Amino acid sequence: MIAAIASATLLGATGHPVTVEVHVGNGLPGFQIVGLPDEACREARDRVRAAVLSSELVWPNRRITVNLAPSSMRKGGSGLDLAIAVGVLVASDALGTRCVEGLSFIGELGLDGSLRSVPGVAPMVACLSDHEAVVAPSSWNVAAAVASKPVHIADSLAQLVTALRDGMWPDVRVPILVADDPFQPDLADVRGQPEARAALEIAAAGGHHLLFVGPPGSGKTMLAQRMIGLLPPLDRATALEATMVHSAAGGRLPPSGIISIPPFRAPHHSSSMVSLVGGGSHNLRPGEISLAHGGVLFLDELGEFASSVLDSLRQPLEEGVIRVARATWHATMPARFLFIAATNPCPCGGGPPGACECDSTATQRYLRRLSRPLLDRFDLRVGVKRTSADDLMRPGGGEPSAVVRERVTLARERSMRRNGVLNAAIEPALLDACAPLTDAAHNMLRVELEASRLTGRGYHRVRRVARTIADLATDDVAVVDESHVALALQFRVPLGIDTRREAA
Amino acid sequence: MSTPLPHEAYAAALAGLPRMTPLRLSVLLRHLAPDEAFAVASGRDSAVAGSMVSKLLGDAELRGMWAAGSRSGSPEAVWQRCEQLGIAVSFAGQAHHPVAATTDPLPASVLFSRGDRGLLEGRRVAVVGTRNATMAGRSMARELGRGLAYSGVNVVSGLARGIDAQAHRGVFVLCDESPAAARGGAIGVVASGLDRVYPRENRDLWERVATEGLLLSESPPGAEPFAYRFPLRNRLVAGLSEIVVVVESRERGGSLITATLAAERDIPVMAVPGIASNRAALGTNGLLRDGMPPVLDVADVLLALSLDHTRCTPAVYEHRAPPRPSDLATYRACREQPQTIGDIAQHHDVNLLMAAMSLARLEQTGWIAQVDGWYEAVGSPMR
Repeated sequence: MIAAIASATLLGATGHPVTVEVHVGNGLPGFQIVGLPDEACREARDRVRAAVLSSELVWPNRRITVNLAPSSMRKGGSGLDLAIAVGVLVASDALGTRCVEGLSFIGELGLDGSLRSVPGVAPMVACLSDHEAVVAPSSWNVAAAVASKPVHIADSLAQLVTALRDGMWPDVRVPILVADDPFQPDLADVRGQPEARAALEIAAAGGHHLLFVGPPGSGKTMLAQRMIGLLPPLDRATALEATMVHSAAGGRLPPSGIISIPPFRAPHHSSSMVSLVGGGSHNLRPGEISLAHGGVLFLDELGEFASSVLDSLRQPLEEGVIRVARATWHATMPARFLFIAATNPCPCGGGPPGACECDSTATQRYLRRLSRPLLDRFDLRVGVKRTSADDLMRPGGGEPSAVVRERVTLARERSMRRNGVLNAAIEPALLDACAPLTDAAHNMLRVELEASRLTGRGYHRVRRVARTIADLATDDVAVVDESHVALALQFRVPLGIDTRREAA
Repeated sequence: MSTPLPHEAYAAALAGLPRMTPLRLSVLLRHLAPDEAFAVASGRDSAVAGSMVSKLLGDAELRGMWAAGSRSGSPEAVWQRCEQLGIAVSFAGQAHHPVAATTDPLPASVLFSRGDRGLLEGRRVAVVGTRNATMAGRSMARELGRGLAYSGVNVVSGLARGIDAQAHRGVFVLCDESPAAARGGAIGVVASGLDRVYPRENRDLWERVATEGLLLSESPPGAEPFAYRFPLRNRLVAGLSEIVVVVESRERGGSLITATLAAERDIPVMAVPGIASNRAALGTNGLLRDGMPPVLDVADVLLALSLDHTRCTPAVYEHRAPPRPSDLATYRACREQPQTIGDIAQHHDVNLLMAAMSLARLEQTGWIAQVDGWYEAVGSPMR
């Protein structure tokens, strides 16, 4: 007898449908899986056999061949266990073919027959849109959030077989819906730091990448964490993409099953390139930049990251996706994130003029780790200094995130209405149309350009930032004036060898 | 050998021997002519028994090193190198060798120089300070250099990064403005050989001091800027000057060493006061507490030199447009201590846009300057 069961496998952050074909025939008793299974997948043999036997079902002592079609694609992980077990049962006539029509099965089996969830349920269920999926109970919320058809659950293989025979599915114990909005750090906790607060607001409103430059202990990490509270919730498409990525990475998903709060990822500076951009030798995992999709990627101590790691960020920063290719496969994963980084101005941390301990060779060596092209990606480079005692001990906090978020949302709406994109993504050719300048503002930029304090690329960036600053004003500003440009220029702390020498 | 080598060649070769110290060099040259001293040091002649020189050569290890060193660094080779690079050599006992260098407790018996040795005959004031200077400190050093040069005083300094370089740049600012008014020159005293530019970023200044001023070193060409040479250089800076002015210095550092060495030699030390919280002023404020006279402008230095200070600075035409009344508070804050835009916004209770405009206007008119996001007042303060 032959059975064909629908299931799926995961590559990167996308699911691919897999048909599990099971043939139970005459010959020496045996159990074989073909169709490019990886190690975890091949081990399904032992798990499936034990699970069937411990569920008090009959294991056919005949020759069993499992083919995972399409057989040219590599299959990984243990998510095909359940489909293989169901296939064996159908092929050995323990279950009728009718019972499994229109169903797909995704899950790992324990030796006792229990059903376990696997990473990547969301993309796998999503790619099987014309099937009703059967998943482990703990995957239900995620699967239901992305599926277009009903999603069923079962605790164990035995329960599943009963349900399939009777056509009666166990009730879904809908998890108590706690709000997805867990505690978010609030900007009201930040004392002082007016320019850093403004920079966060501008970055959130215009989608500008942001670099904090300041001594240790000046609150760069604290500020970056508060970016999430300023961003509007993810739109449906981005939320789905983010959910797929997080599910594929096996990360924890919110109770609603879908990620609606922009994610915040802060990988440590010892992270490898693969962990950041994604990849891996036998199962392709999304990297931190994909996990930050729609949200914030925060790299603290930017200079401590390996320079190859940092340079690998340049392509995704431009394109919003990361293409990972290996000899036998390649995958494209979403990676559109707001990039926030923090660095010390020099090895000792710097401070006001005259406070730095470092000689210039040490400083140059330190800053050389940050490549010029990478630094150019930051529209905003902001100096952060330690909060003074007065500010720290003053009662009452600053403006709360909710108030700032309202301005950010308004500015985002204005820019979307005008440009169709956030200000950071305005094409240079459209700048004159989207961000016209007053004569005074024009002259101010000309002076900067002529003093070669501004490069051609920097010029466009300043204009985009100035546009965002204008959008954040209370009333709708059509033309960018000199105060907006002046403030945009303030947010370009010269960092790096070239500018420092000029300043001496 | 066609022409006999001059004495200077032997003196230069002596200075280049391994483990040669100023004291050993002075012992050798006090009693012997350079060629004799070189013959003794290289082991070809023997020293007069019982003399200081023979005691010095009693050290077998030193004798071995000098013998080896005199073969690798022969007077012919050293002299050829000096002539190639246009480096003049003088040694103790010669009429044009600076007296101050010979009478020093730790004499500089051989000096290598490029440029105009006549500058050593004039009035000389050292302007030294930290390498990590604030903009205000740099600006002060430049003003002092300029004012001293105008009054015909030569500025001695170490060509280090920061204050040292700015003092000399001040001299050349005046040279560029009106060559006739610059009656004083720049004397650079360096630690490495005159062909080993250190720090590299001051290449232009190094060359300009060598061509338009005087560049001095105790080390022969090729000597690297090793750390031990710098305190020796500092004693020469102090010893060659009539007054040492410290512009900015931290609690420890080379410029305080210079000040101490000067005090040991009864050379007056003066210091520019700074704000107590400014780290770059800790050393100078300490000097003031110890009773050194303060320098508020170049007139204070000229008074100490008993020079006419009434017309000590060239009249400065204020070419900068006066700041707007609304920007005055910002300018005053920057003049007190370095400010960030956040400071300005917070303390004057304006929004960031207004603070940015105010800073941009002041920067454009040249009243303030920015380094790494910090604004400081620059140039002569507004009257």
